[in-house]
Amino acid sequence: MTSEPRTGRLIWSRMIWRYWLKEAKLTAMLVGILALGIAVFLSVRLANKAAVTGFGLFTESIVGQSDFILRSPAGKLDERILLEIRKATGSAPLGIFPVLEVTGAIADDPEPGLLRLVGVDLVGLQNAAQYLEGESAGSGGNGLNGESTNQLLGSSRAVFVGQGFVGKTGVAAGETVSVTVSDRVRELVIEAVLPDSPNVAAVPANLVLMDLPGLQALSGEAEKISRVELRIPPGADAAANRESGFALLTAFAEANDLILETPEEQKSSVTQMSAAFRLNLTILSGLALLVGVYLIMQAMEASVVKRRAEIAVMRSLGVTPAEIKRAWILEALLLGFAGSVLGIVLGRILAMGMVGAIAGTVNTLYYETTTTAVTLGGWEVLFCLVFGTVASVLAGWIPARDAAATPPAQAMRHGARSGGLKVLRFWPVGIVLFIAGIAAAALPPWERASGSVVSVGGYLSSILLVLSSSVLIGLLFRPVSRLLGRVGKRSAPFRYAASQLRKPGGRHRLTAAGLAAAIGMSAAMAILVASFETTLTSWIQQLLKADLYVSAPGISSVTNENTISSSTWKAIDSIDGVAGMDRLRRYPVSIDGTRAFLGGADYNQDSERHLQLIWLDPPEDRGPDALEKISGGVISGWISEPFQRIFGVGKGDLFTVPTPQGAKEIRCEGVYAEYGGETGTVMVSRKFTSEWFSDDRITQMSVYVSEGIDPEVVLSEIESQFPTLVARTNARLREESLRIFHQTFAVTYALEAIAVLIAVAGLGLALAGLLLERRRELITLKSLGATRREIAAAAMWEGVGLSIVGLSGGILLSFALGWVLIHVINPQSFGWTLTYQIPWGAFAFLIGVTILCAAVVASAVGYRNGEVRSDRIVGR
Amino acid sequence: MNVLQVSRLTKSYGTTPVLQGVSLSLAPGERAALMGPSGSGKSTLLNCVGGIDRPDDGEIEIDGEKLSQFDEEGLCRLRRRKVSTVFQFFHLLPTLTASENIEFPLQLTGMAEKDRLSRVAELIEEVGLVHRAGALPDELSGGEMQRVAIARALSIRPRLILADEPTGNLDSATGEAILDLLQRVSESHEIAMLIVTHSPDVTRICDQTFKMRDGLIASGENDDE
Repeated sequence: MTSEPRTGRLIWSRMIWRYWLKEAKLTAMLVGILALGIAVFLSVRLANKAAVTGFGLFTESIVGQSDFILRSPAGKLDERILLEIRKATGSAPLGIFPVLEVTGAIADDPEPGLLRLVGVDLVGLQNAAQYLEGESAGSGGNGLNGESTNQLLGSSRAVFVGQGFVGKTGVAAGETVSVTVSDRVRELVIEAVLPDSPNVAAVPANLVLMDLPGLQALSGEAEKISRVELRIPPGADAAANRESGFALLTAFAEANDLILETPEEQKSSVTQMSAAFRLNLTILSGLALLVGVYLIMQAMEASVVKRRAEIAVMRSLGVTPAEIKRAWILEALLLGFAGSVLGIVLGRILAMGMVGAIAGTVNTLYYETTTTAVTLGGWEVLFCLVFGTVASVLAGWIPARDAAATPPAQAMRHGARSGGLKVLRFWPVGIVLFIAGIAAAALPPWERASGSVVSVGGYLSSILLVLSSSVLIGLLFRPVSRLLGRVGKRSAPFRYAASQLRKPGGRHRLTAAGLAAAIGMSAAMAILVASFETTLTSWIQQLLKADLYVSAPGISSVTNENTISSSTWKAIDSIDGVAGMDRLRRYPVSIDGTRAFLGGADYNQDSERHLQLIWLDPPEDRGPDALEKISGGVISGWISEPFQRIFGVGKGDLFTVPTPQGAKEIRCEGVYAEYGGETGTVMVSRKFTSEWFSDDRITQMSVYVSEGIDPEVVLSEIESQFPTLVARTNARLREESLRIFHQTFAVTYALEAIAVLIAVAGLGLALAGLLLERRRELITLKSLGATRREIAAAAMWEGVGLSIVGLSGGILLSFALGWVLIHVINPQSFGWTLTYQIPWGAFAFLIGVTILCAAVVASAVGYRNGEVRSDRIVGR
Repeated sequence: MNVLQVSRLTKSYGTTPVLQGVSLSLAPGERAALMGPSGSGKSTLLNCVGGIDRPDDGEIEIDGEKLSQFDEEGLCRLRRRKVSTVFQFFHLLPTLTASENIEFPLQLTGMAEKDRLSRVAELIEEVGLVHRAGALPDELSGGEMQRVAIARALSIRPRLILADEPTGNLDSATGEAILDLLQRVSESHEIAMLIVTHSPDVTRICDQTFKMRDGLIASGENDDE
């Protein structure tokens, strides 16, 4: 006796599997679309992760991870602190490793990236083997063995670099490389190239390792260190030692106004700064995934329609609706799984291309990071598999329900119009969702324990607005149908296409809703970018009034510490034709554990020609001497908009900033606009910062040229006398600023394009489903004498009509979403006030491309379906 | 000159012969019923005459034009000028109103709007549906739908109407009325009709009845004789 095969398996093997084989191209396309959605989502996630992982202390990859870090909230530490630490910790088992970090640049590189020169106490390292034992990145891990390090000891020229450095510069071991440090060119000799080890993080390509005293001599930072890394020896007592060490160090840090943190804490607090940027990218990539899932729904609906007669036969043979539904859900599950697996592979590849772009933005705006290798973790694989499969099953739910509802036999003769969500027909639901969306925008942001802010109301509002547009878009069909009908009064294909939109079915509504969501979100991002660009351009135009701008290399990186020495800026000041200059020095400081900049400015003593900031809350006095006021020990200062948002300080408020000479009290006299980055800045007179930091160097200067002198002449003079400096004219700096801006948004543009492309592919799939459903109508058209080309034209106009509905809804949605992005999400997440700007040119391009793509895709689908087989024409 | 002239038509699907040398002719205004059991070749003959399928051998002439000389596009254009089809299930375009359905073939021919509208008004009156002109197909009864289908078929002033079980989906009273309408329009406009049917009632309006069996016309009766 044989057991009866289960019906579900029978349906699957006889209907679904065979259908897949028969429609192999369609199945492959479906899996490909889902894979693309997963791939985009995953690649952004991986690239984001790589950009965060790439932030490091730069010593990790060479000497391993420390247990604690001690650093100053402002400026560098004096080397004598090491003795004091030892005194304070007594005989506690604690390895103390001083580190000095300075920035530099390759001298003869036309586009110099930031170079980080790290000085570690190599003698101390060699004598502290017990602290490094058991570390994967120990002294042997990266080739820091006794013999090779001896060549570095005390030398201000000998350096080690990683494989990445060699790859980037082409300089090999034993050769010299010219490096600019503190506006002086130094010849460094590469003693050895540290080999990459499989168990150790790769040495970053911009890292140059030296002995501490050597770097101190090279950089002019005698007896200075950036931080002290502290390490507990491994062993059975490590946990107890760490606890007691932490207590001692905490007391020491508090007594000396220092910051004590673990490497993880530091990494977390720094990388947290880019959380909003990364979240935005994740949301955009999620959009591509969302549209991909929606396409699965479209395609599965089409497959149900195509096989409705078969389903009806099965129903008449006694297969239950539940069994039919199960079979279709299984189909969705398998497609989702296959798409996810392919998407993971594709995403891994895409991420490698994307990581550079994201790391570049993070470098410019947030913190120094390197383009580390993209690593695909088990969790990511699991997440994508589960997400892709579950989303696909959810998308397949409605078609499966639809398949199960097919009445036996009846559909074989008449076919049935179906598809879509019934809720899309009730426009009052859309109104309610719209009002709820606007109301949600008023919700306060959620402040996380880490200090970052999530614009809950903004994101909730966006979701509700997208949902409301999906419902309200039904109202646009009739006017668009009328428009098409009027335009193409004389053409039969036009008339037929317009009539299809007059009373739209569920599939029409669903297609337009999907397209509107993709267009709406992409166009809203375009509004954000345009608003940003307009605001930035206007800011740059108002701000950049000087003739020339001079800085040390690496100015575009937020972590740049390259400086111009006082002798250099004084020499530039005395060049013929230079009428005056604004000078600025920027110091990174930590205020309540959050990074900020303390700026020291001294302005050109010409009441007309000096830096004019753009004021959001203007001070009473804006003259060149305004910041030199001091009353009762309180110093006048101006703060940037991000500083105001991060620290909650406003005009008239008193606050303190850390300096090497202790905390200084500052009164906020005004708030100015700042779009160059998200790190808050407090600006005081350079007279004070030079004194506090005992440092007369500057970060950059704006040069005013005497009347009648060509700025290009002065520029040439500066370039010839000081080839290591970066000097630009006003126009070139503006161009450069906008170039960096567009580079920052490059990933955004790419993601937008992918979302729109997927949406248009969805339109094609939806039309294919619609035409399959209307097979009988096509037969009629053919019998009335319509040619295949006319059928294709009708499909094309229907596709164009659908895309006009989707575009109209999407553009209207984008106005609302753009408003939420600019007035809710952006101020809450980034603290920038932007001018709302609609990019009409970009919109026209988006509309044109979408309609064109829709016309081409729809026409192709129509042409393919316009071939009606003769034996089906009559009598069937 | 005959409107339809079919000569020694043969057609096979694979190794199965479907038409084995069929010949028939219809004069202007002449109506013929084509009867026979399922699989006898009626539908294939209708497809070939409508220019939708091509015979393996033999020739079809419609109003003096040989179908073999046309490509696919040419056959489409011939249909929109000279041949109309009336279906058992009406096959109205569901998103167009009754009058738009009638107007549609005229739009395909590129007729000017003014002429089209006057022609539609004339036809809708002829089939007695002036009061239903703006209704969509799903708002019409079966009989009304078939009237619209007939008006649509008449719109291009065809020389030949092919009807596939035109009363097959209607009750007997409505079916009778539709047959009367077909007879009337055929006579008044001198349109030849080839009607595929299983119903002997249809023969009442026909001048000839062709009975098909195994791909051959087994007998041809002239109802007048």
